[in-house]
Amino acid sequence: MPPDWSVWDVLWRASLETLQTTIAGTFLGALFAYPLGVMAASNWTPPWIHLPVKAAMAFIRSIPLLILALLFVSAVGLGPFPGVLAIAVHSVGVLGRFVAEEIEATDPRPLLALQGTGASSIQVIQHGLIPQVLPQMVAHLAIRFEMNLRDSTILGLVGAGGLGFYVFLYIKQFQWEKTGVLCLAIIFLVFAGEFVSWQIRKRLI
Amino acid sequence: MSPEVIIRLKDAVVRRDGQDILSIDSLEITRGERVAFIGNSGSGKTTLMRMLKGYITPTRGHVEVMGAPVPLGNRARMRGYHRQIGMIHQHFDLIGRESVWQNVYHGRLGYVPFLRSFLGRFDKGDREICMRALKEVRLDDKLYRSARTLSGGEQQRVAIARTLSQEPTIFLADEPVSNLDPALSEDILDLFGTICVAYRLTLLISLHLPELARRIADRIIAMKAGEIVWQGLPEELSEEKISEIYERGERNGEGYDRLERTNEFHMSWGHGAKGHLVPGS
Repeated sequence: MPPDWSVWDVLWRASLETLQTTIAGTFLGALFAYPLGVMAASNWTPPWIHLPVKAAMAFIRSIPLLILALLFVSAVGLGPFPGVLAIAVHSVGVLGRFVAEEIEATDPRPLLALQGTGASSIQVIQHGLIPQVLPQMVAHLAIRFEMNLRDSTILGLVGAGGLGFYVFLYIKQFQWEKTGVLCLAIIFLVFAGEFVSWQIRKRLI
Repeated sequence: MSPEVIIRLKDAVVRRDGQDILSIDSLEITRGERVAFIGNSGSGKTTLMRMLKGYITPTRGHVEVMGAPVPLGNRARMRGYHRQIGMIHQHFDLIGRESVWQNVYHGRLGYVPFLRSFLGRFDKGDREICMRALKEVRLDDKLYRSARTLSGGEQQRVAIARTLSQEPTIFLADEPVSNLDPALSEDILDLFGTICVAYRLTLLISLHLPELARRIADRIIAMKAGEIVWQGLPEELSEEKISEIYERGERNGEGYDRLERTNEFHMSWGHGAKGHLVPGS
């Protein structure tokens, strides 16, 4: 069966939608993940803050992305918007944990040395902590983006927009020629995402 | 006029887990003096320095620095105190990704209000102070290299410049050369000699090797198991004394330094954290 390229139009629109969903979801998630990650770092906040935040993030991580998407589809309706929300919530769980672990693993000695020059707590964060963790933060964000892109290609299965929706549609209609083309698109998209993420990380390290 | 006493300790004791890891009956250091502390690891040298810096609270006793007790527990005054007491460490403790210049700038943070440091606006005065410090350690040709790409000796010189740019009165150097090879060690020690004169500093330096102590100090103090066991002029330190000082006896504080280091940093708005050591600022 030769691939049916007449779906080009659908493919283009759906791919774009998947990409947009990923970008919006990842950044919306990151927006919450960074502050929450700092709150979850056990060497920066007291236990009554970091323990609940850590637990909440673990809870989020335990819910599969598709279930999250299903939840949001029933809450806000079909389309890419529930996809964005699902990706965002999922990213908070995963990214926040990375942020917390990265902060917990920073070498405390340079921070103490900065404090020893007379720097205030906020100055220690800005000049000591952030420069130490920033590269890893960006690297994690890039990896998260890459994985979210892969995940969001199938979000359409539950009606949350993007390529997956059409894949599922054509499968149900036994239009394997069109399904094949879309699968190729997914492979290409995932590969491109990995390439971008790899490039970013290569420049950082 | 008799020389001014800048550090005065009376019956200062630091007790951890039921043991006195530091116990000093009496110690006076005058302004401008260069004092070297020698002794085995775990002999209390580091504990003494951290106590003077205000990282460790003495369990009891009297610790007076620059005519007043260390302002422990008073955050605002502690910040000013930290500025006055420069300290460098065995592991340099620089921000490795940042440039030499940025690291030396960090020494000015204690003088700059938050908003100005947040926007990176250090004024001309700050810049001149940093530049002078960098010239003093002969690194003014490597301003924009990131600190981690430098050799150990160079990194320690950056750390010294950072401390100089905070314009301290007292300079505490905790094992500054034990990560460096012998030639470099002598180089760094000679640098200490120059800067102490140029900046009129009082220097307290802890060293493993007696030969190095002889090279720099006006006075040598030997410690063992948290106590001062000998002090005198460098030429009075005989070989018999040295082997006596370094003889492995009961070692109260063994392993304590390492244990402590991992626990002591936590932010001031936090909690008492895992350690019992509250820097207080």
